[in-house]
Amino acid sequence: MIGFDIVGFMISWLTLFGIYAILSLTLNLESGTAGITNFGKVVFYGVGAYVSATLTAYLILMLNGVDVSETPPYDIEGIILLGELGNKSPMLNIGLLVLSLMIAFAVSGSLGYLLTYPILRVGPAFVGFTLLSSGELLRIFLQHYEPVGASKGLMAIPTPFGWITDSRVREAAYLSLVLGLLALTYVVTHKLINSPLGRTLRALRDDEIAALCLGKHVPRIKATILFIGSGFAGIAGVLLAYYLTSVNPNMFVPAVTFNVWAMIILGGFGNLKGSLLGAAIITFVDRVLTFVTPQLGVTVISPDYLRWIIVGLLIVIVLLVNPKGLLPEKPIKTPALDVVLEELRGESR
Amino acid sequence: MIPGIQQAIMNTLQYMLFYLIFSLPLTLSYRTTKVINFAHANFITYGAYVAIFLHGIMGLNIMSVAAILAFLITGAIAVLNNVLVFTPLQKRGSSPAIIMISSMGLWIAYKYLLYMTTDIAHYYTIKNFVSYGRITYSDVPRGSVGGVELSQAFVASLITASLVVVLLYLLLEKTKIGRAMRAVADNPSLAEISGIPKSFVVNLTWFICGGIAGIGGVIWTSFSGAITPEAGDSMILQVFTVGFIGGLVSLLRTGIGAVLIATIENVGIAILNTYFGVPVSFRPFLTFVTLITTLIVSPPLGAGGGLPYRFLKRGSRK
Repeated sequence: MIGFDIVGFMISWLTLFGIYAILSLTLNLESGTAGITNFGKVVFYGVGAYVSATLTAYLILMLNGVDVSETPPYDIEGIILLGELGNKSPMLNIGLLVLSLMIAFAVSGSLGYLLTYPILRVGPAFVGFTLLSSGELLRIFLQHYEPVGASKGLMAIPTPFGWITDSRVREAAYLSLVLGLLALTYVVTHKLINSPLGRTLRALRDDEIAALCLGKHVPRIKATILFIGSGFAGIAGVLLAYYLTSVNPNMFVPAVTFNVWAMIILGGFGNLKGSLLGAAIITFVDRVLTFVTPQLGVTVISPDYLRWIIVGLLIVIVLLVNPKGLLPEKPIKTPALDVVLEELRGESR
Repeated sequence: MIPGIQQAIMNTLQYMLFYLIFSLPLTLSYRTTKVINFAHANFITYGAYVAIFLHGIMGLNIMSVAAILAFLITGAIAVLNNVLVFTPLQKRGSSPAIIMISSMGLWIAYKYLLYMTTDIAHYYTIKNFVSYGRITYSDVPRGSVGGVELSQAFVASLITASLVVVLLYLLLEKTKIGRAMRAVADNPSLAEISGIPKSFVVNLTWFICGGIAGIGGVIWTSFSGAITPEAGDSMILQVFTVGFIGGLVSLLRTGIGAVLIATIENVGIAILNTYFGVPVSFRPFLTFVTLITTLIVSPPLGAGGGLPYRFLKRGSRK
C-alpha cells in the first residue's frame, strides 16, 4: 500500500462535500420541491466564483497601491504580486471574504431573478433549455472577456485564511467555514420547505394550473425561489474559488450542473437529507477516483471523463430503477401534522 | 454596403442548411414521441466521429460511405436510447420533465464516453482526435455559381437537406407508415387502438431522426476546421432554438426558424463585428436573444407543458 494521507483525504472530501451540498440543497429546493427544471445551476455557481475571484484579486492589488491597469492580476507579474501581497493582513482577507459572499449572493440571486422573466409561461423543457444555454453563454463570455483573464482565468487568489502558516490548520479553518455556511443553507432551505410556502411549492410542482386556480401567484413564487437558490449557489461559487485559489471558464461546464442533479436524484427528490447523502456519496466517489487513479498507473483513462460518465449513467439508472431515490420525500413537518399524528397514535392505542 | 456581405450571405445559406438537417429530426422526434431529447447533440457528434475515425484510422475519405455508416450507427443509438430508457420510463408514467432529465444523463454519459474513446484511439494511433482538422472528401464535387466558389460542405449539405425535405414530405404524406407516424403524433392511444404498431413506429422515428442528425455530423467534418467531442453541443443552442420557433411541432415552421436564426446570426454578427468590433465567437448571444424574445413574445404554449395564462396584473392578488 502506497502512503495514504487519510486526514488530507478527509479534509479535501469534506470541503468538496460542503460546497456541493450547498448546491444540491438549493437545487432540491428549486427542482425537487418547486419543480423548476433548473439546468443552469452552473451559471450562478460560476458567477459567484468569478465575482469573488475578480473582487479579491483586484482589491488586494489596488489596496496595496498597485496600478491594475499596468499590472492586471491575470498577468504573470500580477500573479507574482498577488502571491507576495495576498496574505499579509488577516483583517483584509476576512473582510474581502465577507464582501465577496454578500456581493456574490446579490449578483447571482439577481441574475436568477431576472432569468425567471422569460421562462415564466413556458413548460419545463423550455425553462431547462434556457437556463442550460445561459450557462454556455456565460462560458463563451468569460473565455473572451479580458479583465477576468479570458481563457486563462484568474490564478493565485488570496484565500481568507492565507495568513495561517500551518497548512493543516489553514485547511481545517477553511473546512469549518464551509461547513458553517452549509449549516446555514440547510437551516434556510429546511425552514422554507417546512412552511406554508413549502406546501405551495409542492403544489406548483405537482400541478401548476391547480395552484394557479387556487390563487397562488405562480410567477412571483418561482422568481423568489430562484433568487434564493441562485444566491446560495453564488455562495458555493465563492467557496470554490477560495478553495482552489483559481478560476477558469472550463471549470463551469454543463456537466457540473448534472453532477448536482445526480446528487438530488440519487438522494431523493424533495428530501433535504437525501441531498446531503447524495452529495456525500458522489463527492466521495469523485475524491476516491482522483486519489486512486494516479496510483494505479493508468494514463489512458482520465478520471475526469470516468467521473462524468458515472454521473450521467447514475442519473439514468436511478430514474429507471428507483425513481424515488435513497431517501423518499416525506410529508411536511408542521404543528398541524404533529397533532394529527398524535391523534392517530392515540386512537390506535 | 457592409464589407464582407458576400461572405455573410454564403455563411447564412450554409448554416441554414445545417440547421435544417439538425433541427428537422429534433422536431419530428418530439412530435412523434413527446420526448425532449437533449441527447440529440450526441447524434451530431457521433456522426462526425464516425467520419473522423474512418478517416483517421482507416484513411477513408469517401463521404457517402461515412454518411451511410453514420446513419446506421446514430440511428441505432437513438433506438437503443428509446428501448432502454425512454419507453420504460413512459410505461411507468414518469412526467415529461423526468424523461427530459434522463436524456440529460444520457447526453453527459455519451459525451464523455466519446472523449474517453478519442483518448484511447490517440493512445494506439498517436493521432490527435480531440481537435480534428477538416476532412477533404474525394467523392463530393466543388461547384461554382456566378463566380462564387461553393465548398464541399455547401454542396453536400445542399444535396442532403433537399433530400431530407423531399423524402420526409413523401414519407409523411404519401406512405402508409408515414400516416401511421402522424397518427401516433396526434393521438398515441387512438393510434394504438386502431391497430397501428405503436412501438415499431416510434422506434422507426427514432432511427430516422438519429440517422439524419448523424449524416449532418458527417457533413460538419467537411466544414468545421476543428472538430471536438463537443461539436454537437456547440450547436445545441441554435438547433433547439430553431425547433422552439417551430413550437417543436410544425416541420414547416422549423424550416422558417432555420432561415431566421441563420440570418440573424450571420448577418447580425457581421454587422456587429464590422462596426463595434464584437468577436465573431459571440454569435450565440444573438441566438439567445432571439430565444428569449420568442419565449416572451410568442411562448410555445402547447409544447412541453406550458401554462396558458398571461402574466398576472400587479395587485390582482388581494
